[in-house]
Amino acid sequence: MNPIEIENLTKYYGKRVGIEGLNLRVSAGSVYGFLGPNGAGKTTTIRVLLGLLRASGGRARVLGRDCWKESPRIKAEVGYLPGDLRLYPWMTGRSGLRLLGGIRRRDLKEPGGRLLERFGLPADVRVRDMSRGMRQKLGLILCLAHDPLLLILDEPTSSLDPLVQQSLFAELRERAARGNTVFFSSHNLAEVEELCDRVAILRGGKLVVEESVRELRERAGREIVIRWPAEIDGTQIAVPDFLEVRERESNVWRCGLNGAMRLLIGWAAEQPVEDMSIGPPELEQMFARYYQRSDGIS
Amino acid sequence: MNRGLFAKTFRETWPTALLVGLGMLAFKTLLAFIAPQIAGQMGASMLQMDFVRNILKALLGSEIGDVIDPASFGAFAWVHPVILALLWAQEITFCTRLPAGEVDRGTVDVLLGLPVSRWQLYVCDSLMWLFWGAAIIAVGWVGDTLGGWAAEEGFRPPASKVVPIVVNLYCVYVAVGGLAWLVSALSDRRGRAIAVVFGIVVGSFALSFLAQFWGPARSISWIGLLHYYQPLGILQSESWPWRNMAVLTVFGGVCWVIGGLVFARRDIRTV
Repeated sequence: MNPIEIENLTKYYGKRVGIEGLNLRVSAGSVYGFLGPNGAGKTTTIRVLLGLLRASGGRARVLGRDCWKESPRIKAEVGYLPGDLRLYPWMTGRSGLRLLGGIRRRDLKEPGGRLLERFGLPADVRVRDMSRGMRQKLGLILCLAHDPLLLILDEPTSSLDPLVQQSLFAELRERAARGNTVFFSSHNLAEVEELCDRVAILRGGKLVVEESVRELRERAGREIVIRWPAEIDGTQIAVPDFLEVRERESNVWRCGLNGAMRLLIGWAAEQPVEDMSIGPPELEQMFARYYQRSDGIS
Repeated sequence: MNRGLFAKTFRETWPTALLVGLGMLAFKTLLAFIAPQIAGQMGASMLQMDFVRNILKALLGSEIGDVIDPASFGAFAWVHPVILALLWAQEITFCTRLPAGEVDRGTVDVLLGLPVSRWQLYVCDSLMWLFWGAAIIAVGWVGDTLGGWAAEEGFRPPASKVVPIVVNLYCVYVAVGGLAWLVSALSDRRGRAIAVVFGIVVGSFALSFLAQFWGPARSISWIGLLHYYQPLGILQSESWPWRNMAVLTVFGGVCWVIGGLVFARRDIRTV
């Protein structure tokens, strides 16, 4: 059973499209990135999964249950962090854990205490006196404390400092290693690339691409700089198909790689190359292309 | 029922309920003490003067009949605008907390991210609303009794006549609250929900006031909630207003059920 199964899911707000014909399968134990620009439909999808919105069409199942009809039972095993987190002003870390423990009928004192320590959040500061980052930490602690099978995090790193982000990523990796599933919505490519195994990209309410981060990296172009010896005129050397030359001087080529790395290595081994540097995958450019609308406006 | 939910609702509502309860106690004590004294000072002949009768009718929101005895002045303590305003303020703020208030401040996402159904939330908050209503009206009754002790014998209504008024007032509480739950379920903005319900109850109060002088208002006074709450009539007739209580309870109950159905089926959008 996949923790999240979405088939042809559609949600309209009146005439406006929230999401349309969305299909996804998130496997157990994975960290699944859900990427897209603002208004792409990420939050709508999450809210349908949590039973906050009723789908206009299609089907969505979470932990094998219908996400609308069996929402309360699903949420016993789900931890949810909203994108625009708002907490009760009177709440503290301690009282929040006590309150949620009472509602979930679980003792969250010990696991919650460990998380408070890990994220460096004082237990007795009220939400009304907290900074935005502290509130975000508390929201994360409250959604992690009951050790849910599935974590649904809507842009969880907003207002977290880099150190806390790393603590969060470490925590999420540990949980995924134990078999828990993380559904991680973001519009930040770098963090998805760092954390996630698979990624789905949404644009205009529709799925644009869905594949593993490794496959994406392989497909993404890289910048290659080839330096020729002084006695060789680089402009006379034939350019192979898999290289897109951007600058071509007498002894330096700057190109983009549009093919498999082994082709480049095989070709370079037969050339009088003096030096060659290979840049990291140009995922940003690739994602920018996905993010752009057909009319060229992002 | 979920004890954690009750704890949360109690945590958020007790300060308002306590303040309103104390206000109710103070005003009821004062009114129960003052009203019979005024009646004693006015004298029977003054009560037969037309303009005095009209003022009394407007204040009491009901026909006062041919004779009004000093003990009937105790009805003032149950229809005084301050008393009704306190009660309505408490319940309108309470009943618009969920879902309008929770959606408005965005905390509904955290609440509905927990393993509880919308009906559970609704019923839990509603039970707490009924509890606070009973407690506040009971406190008002205590104030009425305290103030009545200071009045002379014959100037205070007997407890057997006051009980139906207390129950009838609780039915008004149920009717206004039920309406507030419905409006809240239909709204994403708490301020708007409060304004709508407050507008309706103030309109109802004004209608009840106008109906004593103005024929057209009298002909439609049955649509106002206060048409079904007339303490003076109860004191004078010594009977239980079963029909009025039934109308108020059924109205409140129907509104409450529709509100619950709306809340259970609606989209929750906070962004």
